[in-house]
Amino acid sequence: MRLFKVMNIHDELASIVGEKWVITGKETRLYSYDGFTAVEGDPSMVVLPGNEEEAIRVVRLLLERQVKFVMRGTGTSLSGATVPLGGEVVVGMARLNRVYSQSGLEIEVGPGIANAMVTKNAPPHLFYAPDPSSYMVSSIGGNISHDSGGVHVVKYGPTVNSVVSVRVILAGGQVEDVEYGPFLSSLPIFVGAEGTLGGILRARLRLFPKPATRKSIFATFDSVRDAGRAVVDIFRTGVIPSALEMMDRNTIRVVERSRYRANAPDVEALLLIELDGSEEAVSEQENLVSRVIKEDNGERIYPDDGGTKLWNARKGAFPAMGVVAPAYLTLDCNVPREALPDVLAGVAEIGRRKGVLIANVFHAGDGNLHPLIPYFPDKAESLKLALETSAEIMKFALRMGGVPSGEHGIGIEKLKYMDMYYNKEELQVLRRIKSVFDPGNLLNPCKLLGGCRPRDEVTRWMWEWD
Amino acid sequence: MGLEDACVHCGFCLEACPTYVVTRSEIHSPRGRITSVRLGISSEGIETCMFCRRCELACPSGVEYGKLIHNVREESPVKKALNVVMERPQLAYRFFKSSEGLNSPVVRRIHELIPRMEAPLEYREESPEIILFPGCLMSVAFRRTVNNALLFIKSRGYRVEILNGCCGLSHYSEGDKVRSNALIQQLRERFKGRRVVSLSSNCSAHMREMGLNVEDFSEFALSELRDEKRKLTITIHDPCHANLMGITKSTRKVVERLGINVVEMDEPSFECGAGGGYFIYHPEIADRVMDVKAEKVKRSGQKLVLSTNPACSLALAFKGFRPLHLADILEGIEDLNPS
Repeated sequence: MRLFKVMNIHDELASIVGEKWVITGKETRLYSYDGFTAVEGDPSMVVLPGNEEEAIRVVRLLLERQVKFVMRGTGTSLSGATVPLGGEVVVGMARLNRVYSQSGLEIEVGPGIANAMVTKNAPPHLFYAPDPSSYMVSSIGGNISHDSGGVHVVKYGPTVNSVVSVRVILAGGQVEDVEYGPFLSSLPIFVGAEGTLGGILRARLRLFPKPATRKSIFATFDSVRDAGRAVVDIFRTGVIPSALEMMDRNTIRVVERSRYRANAPDVEALLLIELDGSEEAVSEQENLVSRVIKEDNGERIYPDDGGTKLWNARKGAFPAMGVVAPAYLTLDCNVPREALPDVLAGVAEIGRRKGVLIANVFHAGDGNLHPLIPYFPDKAESLKLALETSAEIMKFALRMGGVPSGEHGIGIEKLKYMDMYYNKEELQVLRRIKSVFDPGNLLNPCKLLGGCRPRDEVTRWMWEWD
Repeated sequence: MGLEDACVHCGFCLEACPTYVVTRSEIHSPRGRITSVRLGISSEGIETCMFCRRCELACPSGVEYGKLIHNVREESPVKKALNVVMERPQLAYRFFKSSEGLNSPVVRRIHELIPRMEAPLEYREESPEIILFPGCLMSVAFRRTVNNALLFIKSRGYRVEILNGCCGLSHYSEGDKVRSNALIQQLRERFKGRRVVSLSSNCSAHMREMGLNVEDFSEFALSELRDEKRKLTITIHDPCHANLMGITKSTRKVVERLGINVVEMDEPSFECGAGGGYFIYHPEIADRVMDVKAEKVKRSGQKLVLSTNPACSLALAFKGFRPLHLADILEGIEDLNPS
């Protein structure tokens, strides 16, 4: 029935976007994964509209025919938020990558543009601040739908703080421009909604003036606990670094085996700190931060290249896990900064107990953990162990005051933690919001709030508690 | 474990890939191609890869993408025939001349991108100290550059022999395992115990990757440079494989030593659009990549583009720029009239 319905609209979709931009048959499977590969989706068809008008007509057609669909950017979600699980049509928005206008501190772009291209298209004295590690390729539409973060979140905020307005297409087919405003603004609800409430058609983004100087500081620590304490103490001095990242020994060893090799010292913890602002401000901040490092038993190091390689290693640390295993899970639970030392010790303990290598590389400044858990996708028990390990970490992090996701989204990966974090009434409110926006449940079903039954053992491990 | 299994599907390769940039479709992306191999499905994307291997530089997991594509591709009869012709530059030249006006899309396309061919330069001195290896396309499409390279090497006091032949990069990229291997074996024999200077930088890169001991012309020039300057303003294109193997670094060093003023283009190593012989078989994608490249070059404001690889030079000339090889700068400078 479903397939019949979809095959029926093939010709109509092709008449909107052109035959070659509708993908059918086996090649649709290339759209069955995003950056989360534990589950293979089953798209019934893929449509790649070439401009906003085509996108609107495609979505309206799908809505009219009651066809479920998943809107997707460049497919780098780490939570599986764009994996079609029930034969949905995938609407790929990557071709909508235009810059529409730029004026003042704002730039208006299509949802398919890569994050890095926003700054590239901005005047030289401005930049787009949110920079997830995938910024070279991840799309703005996806960034908005995940409320993506990045290393500069600690000072400039995640995506939600840089979105001025979005154009969305709603489940009724209406196209609305929603702006940020003081009275019951509906803009933020679309940020981080993972495409479950509407589709992002374009966005006006906020640009920040580039700081006069940026200074990188690197410090090694013989214990993760000391490094965690230094993170807290830096903020106590009143300094808000523009980036504050931590890599633990496992991560350092992984990147040193990858193409991101940076000759990083083999230590328990490495802090990567960036300070920005006027020259005077930066040098004063540097003094304060240096003092903290010393007091917390750290030692500053001075890489020959000024630290470019270390930063690249940080940004490439996730996929660099490929040198250990061809797949990995990662979490992004935010915990209070004060809890970092205890949480990190707890994560290490869980790794030991489960016999799993856990590498930690994360946004320490905003307490956003990223334990990386490698697994071998062709061995079911390896994935099961990774999922169990991540569940243990998640339970522990939530107990320590954390939240299920700081920036990667809930997707299909973290559904069962929603039930743990929110109580019944809260979840009910969220589900009612979803059904107000999308009464037919046609927009990206199963994601964020779940509501789908497991379809195999992997989804069962992921969605159900033992 | 196959080469495809090292991919973690992060997508970091996407924007590095010229065919993804112009299609923005997973089918025509490195990640999509790797996935199709892993899933064992046939996909159009395997054929649309331009084999610039820029994705390998973007890949954090070290997927050996070039090898993977080489392994899975099957060469078509047309490609095979054309490669056989190119293996013998003299033959290629005669074929080119006799095919003028032939009404075949393939032939028309070749003549469109290669407006002129000359007979390869033959040259041999007694007991030569250096073999100059122009590369097949260079020898017929840029005879003057070969001559300039010859003059430069000779001006340094070496006895030279020109060896006109083919390194097999085209064969390799199109999946012809047997022939690409045979060509490398032949060259290994010919090169044994000799000092070889290779003029086409992507050929230099390929031969080096295949284990042959060759010097790229830029490396030779760097070691033989005297205290000389060139008053010139240019932009630089980094040919893909030469860039992958780090050879473009020495090109840039020579340029710096010569005191040449460089106005950088956006993403100098972005694919030129020719893709070896790709432009013949996939004109639509190739043309769009050439357009993107032309935009990047244009924004540098320069007409003179340093390009050390012949296919790139043809693509750049096709888009209205004036490509020149390092050898042209070193020996043919009086011919240049930058205005």
